[in-house]
Amino acid sequence: MRYDWRNLSADRAPLAVAVVLGAAIAYGAFNGSEWIRFQNRAISEALAEERERFDRIRDEIPRIESGEKTVTVFADPRQPQSFGRNMGTRYAVMPPAALGALAIGQSDLYPYYFRVSTNSKQTFLNNDEVENPVHLLAGRFDLAFVLLYLYPLVILAFSYNLVSSEKESGTLALTLSQPVSLRRVVMAKVLLRAAFVAALAVLLSAAGVIIGGANLAAEGAWPRLLLWAAVTAVYGAFWFALAIAVNALGRGSATNAMTLAGAWLLFVIVIPSVLNVTIKAVYPVPSRVELIQAIRVAGDESTREGSKLLARYLEDHPELAPPSKGPAGPPDFGTLLVAVNEATERKVQPVLAEFDAQLANQQSMADRLRYLSPAIVAQSAFNDLAGSSAHRYKHFLAGVDEYHRQWRGFFVPRILKKEKLNAGDLARLPSFTFREEPTAAVTGRAGVAFVGLLIAALLAGIPAVMALRRYPVAG
Amino acid sequence: MILRIARKEITEMIRDGRFRAAGAIVFTLLAGALLLGWQHYREVSAQHSAAQRATREQWLGQGKKNPHSAAHYGIYAFKPKVPLTMVDRGTDPYTGVAVWLEAHKQNEFKYRPAQDATAVQRFGELTGATVLQLLVPLLIVLLAFNAFSGERELGTLRQLLSFGVSQQDLARGKALGVAAALGLLLVPAALIGVVALTAGSGQTDMIAALPRMAWMTVGYLLYFGAFVGVSLAVSAWASSSRSALIVLLGFWMFNGLIAPRAASDIAKALRPAPSAFQFARGIEKAMQGDGHDSASARAKRLEQELMKKYNVDKVEALPINFTGARLQDSEDHGNEVFDQAYSRLWTVFDAQDGVHRLLSAAAPSLAVRSASMAFAGADFPQHAHFARAAEEYRRTIQRVMNDDLMRNASNTGVYLAGDELWKKVRPFEYTAPDAGWVLARQAPSLAILALWCAVAALAAMWTARRVRVY
Repeated sequence: MRYDWRNLSADRAPLAVAVVLGAAIAYGAFNGSEWIRFQNRAISEALAEERERFDRIRDEIPRIESGEKTVTVFADPRQPQSFGRNMGTRYAVMPPAALGALAIGQSDLYPYYFRVSTNSKQTFLNNDEVENPVHLLAGRFDLAFVLLYLYPLVILAFSYNLVSSEKESGTLALTLSQPVSLRRVVMAKVLLRAAFVAALAVLLSAAGVIIGGANLAAEGAWPRLLLWAAVTAVYGAFWFALAIAVNALGRGSATNAMTLAGAWLLFVIVIPSVLNVTIKAVYPVPSRVELIQAIRVAGDESTREGSKLLARYLEDHPELAPPSKGPAGPPDFGTLLVAVNEATERKVQPVLAEFDAQLANQQSMADRLRYLSPAIVAQSAFNDLAGSSAHRYKHFLAGVDEYHRQWRGFFVPRILKKEKLNAGDLARLPSFTFREEPTAAVTGRAGVAFVGLLIAALLAGIPAVMALRRYPVAG
Repeated sequence: MILRIARKEITEMIRDGRFRAAGAIVFTLLAGALLLGWQHYREVSAQHSAAQRATREQWLGQGKKNPHSAAHYGIYAFKPKVPLTMVDRGTDPYTGVAVWLEAHKQNEFKYRPAQDATAVQRFGELTGATVLQLLVPLLIVLLAFNAFSGERELGTLRQLLSFGVSQQDLARGKALGVAAALGLLLVPAALIGVVALTAGSGQTDMIAALPRMAWMTVGYLLYFGAFVGVSLAVSAWASSSRSALIVLLGFWMFNGLIAPRAASDIAKALRPAPSAFQFARGIEKAMQGDGHDSASARAKRLEQELMKKYNVDKVEALPINFTGARLQDSEDHGNEVFDQAYSRLWTVFDAQDGVHRLLSAAAPSLAVRSASMAFAGADFPQHAHFARAAEEYRRTIQRVMNDDLMRNASNTGVYLAGDELWKKVRPFEYTAPDAGWVLARQAPSLAILALWCAVAALAAMWTARRVRVY
């Protein structure tokens, strides 16, 4: 082993590789942290806007109450329908996760804050970030990209001729004339290289964490980081195992290089893209274009039925009926809207459920078939650990859904009872706090991925080590 | 002589099992990708045209209403699919599919198809473009990396040159051989593509697609030419086949994987776009008139102007409906604000694309990606072209509604309009820009590809002349 180290260190290649990989990792981590900074800036600007708006309203209400200022019904913040629909809406924010800078993942595709109102959710859920679509298409140069694509290549470059080069230069027979087994020699070589590459990956990831400004004080940050390192190591182990397996076939260095490059292409490029189209073909998501139409048709119907709906709604919720004083006049706009929204949402629900079901089907198919390519397994683990997966986004959506219900629960009774808000109500408004996904759920998912990668590494490694016994040392 | 060398190359490649296998895989993927693209195109374009008809019917059948309520009800515009997206979907998965055209507001497009997919999508989609931009160049590298170095290692290079074959002829012959081998693969695939295109689209779409297809082909041929040239040059220059392969694989990796991502990040850093929040907030502030020209102040001014113009002393006495006039006035103001905001944003995107173009001098893949999706009709400028047309249509609706209000509504009672007015708004018709429009924008990309191709060819000739014989 010491000899091999001397051999390696005499070569300038490892140093060059370390520098290139290091630069790539630093650049990737920097990009990730820029994205986090961008998100944080947008979030703090949004929250500042909310504060300003609330200050203004707090200031305005007493002036309207005292008659110092007159406003129309629509601009009156005391009207619950105006306040809850637009004037007093509040932001529901999902801040970047502790390790968010490590993998941009899906986080550039999904919104991370919403302005929740009493309107139906479909009116505020499309809060997509402004981005040149070419950038979304290309993906980002983040740490996860370096680890998924480049790190395996570095490993393969170090190990494609692990045995074959010694055989070609004739030193293998010489070495084996000593009392050592081929397996020992190979293991020593692999361990040395593995130690080198893994140390590189882990150290540089740590550098990435520092450059990326990860928040290690956050709850669950350490277990995530450790799992990140473990996934990185075992993903690397898979590629080493594959290299040994190819070496064990006993072909020349050139053939080994070609075979391994082909395997890389297969696992990192071809299988994912074929899998992607397969999933979409098996579980096609219904068209969003048709969703738009469904919402519209349901909305039209509900609007036509307007007052009838309100009567039915109030029968269901008699406690919300306005106090009757004399003959009931025509219901006002805000009251009608409550009933119309409710009915529309009920009608659209089955269509939305179909989307959710089909997306869940896609996800579970992807979860099952990802084991066809270790790269996909590692990607899913990285996204999960960095908090840029669809899982965390769904978790956020569930929280927003709950908050939306609370928000309506606050305003709808006041709208129906025609109660005006006062300055004191501002302090009683429901507010949203993002609760991070439970660490156990995240580490559980990433843990499954880890085990999957481990099995893949063993599947490639064990037969390879067995085959080394029959390795044709000469000839 | 060149032909004879080429023939020898082809025979050798066809006999080589590795080439046959690699070729078969690439061909299968390409054909599969084209068929999937064809199916996708058919499905989506059927949905979109059905939805476009439905939204029109809803507009016409909205019954008796105040014109401004109708303006709020609005109409949807669905982005049509163009036939060549079956080859290259470009940025389509990452731009919204529909926009709601309502009163007061230029909305964003919603529903990016990529949001309805798993994270596997981010590894890239299997489309014709992926195969042509990523896998075919790899095949070229594998075919050509040992063109010179292999002959040298076998000792046949010396032999060849001793026959009096010039090195340049050798290079030309090798290039022709690789080209012919690629042709064996790509010509049938292109035929499949043409058949799918003919079957998938109507005659008018087909005719419109032809020049685009021709230019797209030019782009790809130049790109492949650049790769053949670079591969031969490296093969002649490198000390061994092995180092030639390593250098070429590095070049391929840089082009296919690193350059697109790095270019995105560099473009974002050099030309930062505003966040969605800043963008929306900017519009909101400008709409309120930044304090000195608030909506109510503008309404007051309009009131005064109109009363002066018609020489009356109160609003009720105006011969036109004041609400209609006020609404149109606020639309006019909004239009200015939106024009400014969007043109500023799209200028930033344009500048980012400019950075990509500059960087394509280092990586031809950036140029071919840009040209391919542009001629396919799936790049951002063409999305913006549609967005502009939809916005124009929105403004027409507003104008028709507000004109009607102004002319027919009284200043006192309730006014309802009906089918006649809805019919006055013509159906939304969109014509995608023609190939010339795209060419004007993509000329730099094509020029860079041509330059790459020419420089690579010269480099191949130059290094071939200096090739070491042993």
